Parts: sequence; structure tokens; C-alpha cells
Amino acid sequence: MAHEVSGDRTSVRAATPSRRTILQLAGFLGAGAFGGPLLSACAGPTGQSSAVTGGGEGGSLSIVLNRNLVSLDNKLNQYDAAVTVQRAVREALTRIGDDLTPQLVLAESFEATSPTVWTVKLRNDIHYSDNSKVTVEDVETALKYYFQVKAGYVASQFPEQPAFAKIDDRTFTLTTKKPVVSLMSLMSNILITPAKANKPEELQGGIGSGPFVIAKSDSGTGSYTLTRNDNYWGELAHLQQVNVSYQEEEGGRVVALTSGQADVIDTITPESAAKLKTDPKVDVIETPGTRLIHLFYNFREPAGHPLSKVEVREALSHAIDHASLIKALMNNQVSSAEGVVPKTLSGFYKTGDYVYDPAKAKAMLAAAGATGLKLRVIWEDAEFSGASQVLEAVAQMLNAVGVSLELKMIPKGGEINAWRRGESGDWDVLANGYGNQTGLAITNLVAQYAGTAEKEKTRDTYHGFVVPQITDLLDRASQEVDEAKQTALLDEAQKLIWAQWPAMWAWTPNNVLAKRKRVRGLRLRPTNAYDLRAISVVGS
Amino acid sequence: MTTATAQSTDIPGTVVTPARLRRSAAARRHRYSRIKMWLGAVCAGVVIIPVLLAQVLPLQDPVNGSLAQALLPPMTDGHLFGTDANGRDLLSRVLHGGQTSLLIGCLAVLVSGAIGIVAGSLAGYYGGWIDTVVSRLLEAQMSLPLLLMLLLVVALFGPSILVITLVIAIAQWPEPARITRSLVLVEREKPYVAAARVLGLHRLTIIGRLIIPNILQQALVVVFLLLAQAVLLESALSFLGAGVQRPYPTWGGIISDGRQLFITGQWWLVTIPGLVIALLVIGVNLFGDGLRDRVRRTKAAS
Repeated sequence: MAHEVSGDRTSVRAATPSRRTILQLAGFLGAGAFGGPLLSACAGPTGQSSAVTGGGEGGSLSIVLNRNLVSLDNKLNQYDAAVTVQRAVREALTRIGDDLTPQLVLAESFEATSPTVWTVKLRNDIHYSDNSKVTVEDVETALKYYFQVKAGYVASQFPEQPAFAKIDDRTFTLTTKKPVVSLMSLMSNILITPAKANKPEELQGGIGSGPFVIAKSDSGTGSYTLTRNDNYWGELAHLQQVNVSYQEEEGGRVVALTSGQADVIDTITPESAAKLKTDPKVDVIETPGTRLIHLFYNFREPAGHPLSKVEVREALSHAIDHASLIKALMNNQVSSAEGVVPKTLSGFYKTGDYVYDPAKAKAMLAAAGATGLKLRVIWEDAEFSGASQVLEAVAQMLNAVGVSLELKMIPKGGEINAWRRGESGDWDVLANGYGNQTGLAITNLVAQYAGTAEKEKTRDTYHGFVVPQITDLLDRASQEVDEAKQTALLDEAQKLIWAQWPAMWAWTPNNVLAKRKRVRGLRLRPTNAYDLRAISVVGS
Repeated sequence: MTTATAQSTDIPGTVVTPARLRRSAAARRHRYSRIKMWLGAVCAGVVIIPVLLAQVLPLQDPVNGSLAQALLPPMTDGHLFGTDANGRDLLSRVLHGGQTSLLIGCLAVLVSGAIGIVAGSLAGYYGGWIDTVVSRLLEAQMSLPLLLMLLLVVALFGPSILVITLVIAIAQWPEPARITRSLVLVEREKPYVAAARVLGLHRLTIIGRLIIPNILQQALVVVFLLLAQAVLLESALSFLGAGVQRPYPTWGGIISDGRQLFITGQWWLVTIPGLVIALLVIGVNLFGDGLRDRVRRTKAAS
């Protein structure tokens, strides 16, 4: 020991390190040895890929979505990016092609044999991944269940449920009470599953007739592994495997892509897109979208409420400086709406522009006796890119014309549906995105603006929008076989809808997707989806 | 031997020299506690003083900004901390956001301290079924995942300053309650308490007028240390979107918004409020730690 005794006194040598010093030194060294590698590991992506790129034909693809896929079924849940994965496993009678027109998939023919009757013949060579045949009964069951499921997203786009009648083992008819000219496009959303395995609810597993099969799934974590369906009835997919996961954090997804852990990320913000464009290993693909995002008014307000006046709704629109919003918060990757549906859709009619004129807004509000208006805006977390920032800026703009806005973000998890139906609380404006998977303006128009008093009793209208004259026009347009007449009816309906000022502002974001350069054959459609079968991954 | 002899010349007949005293464990602890308190006061003061003065400082509006000035880096166009995506001055938002965080933190600490000291005193003094009930409640609450519980309550009752304050206060009461209970267990056995009982004082009077004043100093140090935790909890709730609603700034909310932009080079939106939170938490903890050392020493000396 480092001490010496002098008589009855003990003195400690100053030059000898004490136990405390030794322990402190050991502590520092230990922390350095442990923390050093940890810190360097945390410093950033190494650029090395942990993804399995696979050496097989086409390799393996890793997709990181921004929202949980929840299921591989679209009865309740069909946001844009999910469609890509859902249709890799299950197919429909038709699909919407790159030019937004319907194309045949499981159907060999899909013909209108009379104004209200469509005759469909299934292909002879189609079968599921287990080699069992796709039958007429499977189609009947699928159609029935899409309409049975409560608050179904797909069913609401049909003007009515078509009656099903089997003719033979491959042929059946779909009959409607009134003509539904867009039925072929609408049926592209009805994904076919074996009747015995189908249920009137979202399916978490099961088989389909698509080019991939589900190897592993976990809806809780949003992780899915698809493998190539070697029994596919059509041309086989190039990829051996597709790994789907979700990462809510945009920064995490960008890092995953740049480090090579992910091959494709979609629905990215303008800021991330600008950053990724500078990465030599990454391609950013941008196409005009079919999704409309709008600040939609609550049409369930009582008659005396200021928002029930058209002039007030119009006045609020004039308070929105959309050019500044698009430039500062959306990096010029969206276009302000020029009508009530996205202009990319077939049947779009330009009804007007949103004009920023705060002086006019103030004057109109004063004339309508709506000064000092207080409104509540709700939106679901991450409903669209930069939602919180956009709505804070909107609140500031409205504040400048004397309207105060209460912002209420609804967390993810399904509660937004109750809010939309007015069951969870009152609101005045909903910031909401509305996707379109048919390429037709009439799909949006019917689902959003063809509300009836009957539907409103069960709160199945689009936020209470019920204008009988518009509903009548849309009904007639849905039934009109003559294309010119249908266009005229749709134009008229869109003019009337615009005159109602249903939204404070609306815009259509571009579809923005980023992929590693090693991913080949990816063609992003206006519907923000792509065909996984055509993709291959080359090299690392 | 030589060294010992040489040093003992300072004070004849002893080896206790001023130099050795300075190196002694007690003196070192004293020095450390003083350094900790000074360092803590400086760190916390750097944050707290400007936050308290936010209303009188010549700052820009924390809620309304100019989109034309979006995402300016620090030290640009008169924006010391830069601007956010909505063109709002980050310094102003950080300072005004700090008012919300500190208000919630202080209120939560006051409420949790009051609940904890009262419950802990009753449990420690009365014992029996009161002690059993309080102790089991403590254990039950401490076994729950704190943040999850907070999120649940905020989801149920909505995010407002009152709800968030109460939720954090109720989440934090076990800590002061435990320390108070153990201190009261010691105090109640002391002669002055026995004397008070003999004099016929009511038990609540004994607790309120004799015991609590004696243990308050130590209990308050623990309560003070909870301030840092309360600020962190409030920031965590805001970060997760369960804090005070937009557009009012909160530290957690500013970081939450900024994290999307961090990857694209706008580092200041996350880093600066993060540093502010870290400074405050380190400062409060260092100060509280130093204070605890000092209180412990004073108690031991007395």
C-alpha cells in the first residue's frame, strides 16, 4: 500500500495515485472503449446496404412506406402508396392504366350489353397462387363484401351496388337500376379473393391471383414480406422478394434510402425531394397526381351558422395566399386547384381559380355580418406533407382578416372517421386528402357531392354536402351513355359545386417518389402507384 | 516521514494542515457542491432569465411570421436563432415556448410536491392502513409506464395546460411522497415529537407545525429536482403531438416540426431548442444536486 507510518501519524504520499484516481482513470478508459465505437456507429449512415439485394433474377426490393399498410386488402384502407402493394397480391377484373383508362386484368371481356347491364367474362387461364381457379362466385362474394363492410371507402364511389347474376362458369352480369357508365373503372378497385377465405372486413392474410404471395406479415408493425408467385398465370415478376415496412419519420426514410437500406420511398416532402435530387445514387420521380387535398367546410353546420352562407365561404377563400404557401411550404410541388377535382382526371372542368384578395375577404365578411369569426380546423396527423405548417400559415392568413382559427390535430389511429362523421366533436373545416384510383372525375364527384338526405341520415354523405340539384345532375351523368351529354352534365355539376365554395382552398400535389438507381422498371402512375411486377433490382 | 515532518511545521503538534484540509473528502465535497450549484445556476439562469423576460424583450411575434423569410439560418436578417418553415423567429418561439414549458413544469412540481409531502407525512406518521394505502398507491403508480400513462390521459381529456400540468403532477407525486415518508418515520421517533404528544397536541398539528418544517428542506430539494423531469415530460408530450395545441410554441413541438427538416440541412430547428432543454435540465439537476449535498451536510452537522 502507498502509505508510510511515522510514529502514530499516517501520511499519504502526494505523488502516488490514490484508489479514487485509479478508478476514475479506469472509468474514463472504459467509457472511451465502450462509447467510442458506439458514437462512431451513431454518427451517420455508412453507405453500406443492409438490405438483401439478392443475387437471383431481379433481386429483392425494400419499400419503406410513410404509413402503416395495415392490411393487404383495400376494403377500408386505400391510400395511394398502399395500392402498389395490395395489387401485387390481389388483382381485380380491371385496372387503371398509365393513361388513366381501364384495362382488362382478370376479365377477358367487360362489355355493356344494355345501358344497365354489363356482361363480364373471366379469362380462362387465371388462377390463384395455389393453382385453384378464379371463379365467378369469388367475384360475387368480393363485390358483396365490399358493400357490406361498414364505412367502406371503395363502396362509396359506386352510385349503387350492382346486382350480380351468374351465366356460366366464366360469365356473369352486373346489373344496375340506372346506367353506371364508369362501372369498368370502378370495378378496378374490387380485389378478388377466394370466396371461402373472404370476409366482410379487412383481410390480414390469404392468397390472391397476383404476381406475389405473402410470405410474412405483421399488421401491427406494418412489415410484410412478399415472394414471387411462381405459379402466376401471367408473365412472372422479375423480383424474388419484396420487403415492405413503414417509417413514419420522413428523416428516417430518407436516411434509409441514402444508406441503401431502402430501395424505394414514396410520398416524400418537397424538402426531402430537393435534398435527394443531389444524391448521385438516387432518382427522384415526379408525376402530376390525382389526389385532391382540400380545406373542406363542414356542411352539417346549423342554418344560422356563418359558414352556411356561401358568401362567407367564398370570403374565407380570398384570405388564403396560396401562391406563398406553394412557394414557401410546398416547394412548388403542388398546383392550386382550378376546379372541384384534380385537373389530371378525365372529365375535369375548369370552373375558376382561387384568388388571394384579403381586402375583398374582409369586405365580404363584414357584409355577411361574419366579423370576429372563430373556426375550428381538424386534420389527421400526416394526412398530407407539411400539414401542420400549412395550417399554421393558414391560421395566420385568416387572422389577418379577423378570423381566428383553432387548430386541432387528430392523432393517427382511426379516430378521424368519427370526427368526420361529427361523432367525436364539432369542427368547421377539415383538411383532408381524397385519392382517386379510377382516373375519372365522376368517381370523386359522386363520392363527394352526390349526397342525399337519405344518406345524410346515416352520415354517409361527404361532410354533409347535400345539394339536390347537383345530386340530380351527377345521377344523370352517371347514367348517361352518350359521352358528349355526360360531359355536359358533369361540366354543369362542377360549375354548380364550385358556386357553393365547398372548400376554403384545394390543391393537387405531385406524386413524388425516390428510388435507388439500382431499381429499374419503375413507372409511377398518376394514381401514385406502380406495377411491382415490372421492377427489377440490378447490382448493389 | 520527511514530508510529514515538514508539513506539521504549519501547525505544531498536528498533521492537519490547511493544504490537507483543502484536499480532504469533506472539503472536496463542499467544493464540488458549490461548483455544482454555481454551474447549475449559470446553466439554468441562461435559459430561465431570458424566458421570463420574453414579454419585455424586443422579440418578434412567436405565432405569426412571414413566409418570405422561411428557414433562414441563424444570424441572418436579425434572426439570432434563424427562422422556421413558417418564417417565424426561432429565438422568439424558443423563449415563448419556454414560458409554457416552465409554467407547466413549475405548476406540476408545486402540485406534485404538495401531494407528495402531505401523503408521505400522513403515511409516515400514522402508519397502519394509511401507510399501506399510500405505499401501495405509490408502488402501483411507479409500476406503470409513465409516458404511456400520460399520453392516455391527455388523449382522454384533451391537451390543455391544466390537464398536462395535473397529469405531470400526478405522475410525479411518488418521488416526494417516498422521501417524505422515510424522513417522517425518523422524525416521529425523536424526543421533541414525543414531548409534543405528551403536551396533548393534535396529531395533525404535530405533523403540520413540528415535523414538516423539520423535513421540508430535504423534501424540497427532491421536489426541485423534479422540475427538470417535468420540463422533459412536457417536451416529450409536445413532441408526440399531445402537448399544448398549435400554433402556440412549445419546445417539444418546435423540435418535432424541425426533425423533418433536419435531414435537409436545417439543423437549427432541432439543435437550438434541444440545447436549450439540455442546458435547463443540466442546470436544474446540477443546482439541485449541489443543494442536496449542502442540505445533507448541514443536517449531519446539526
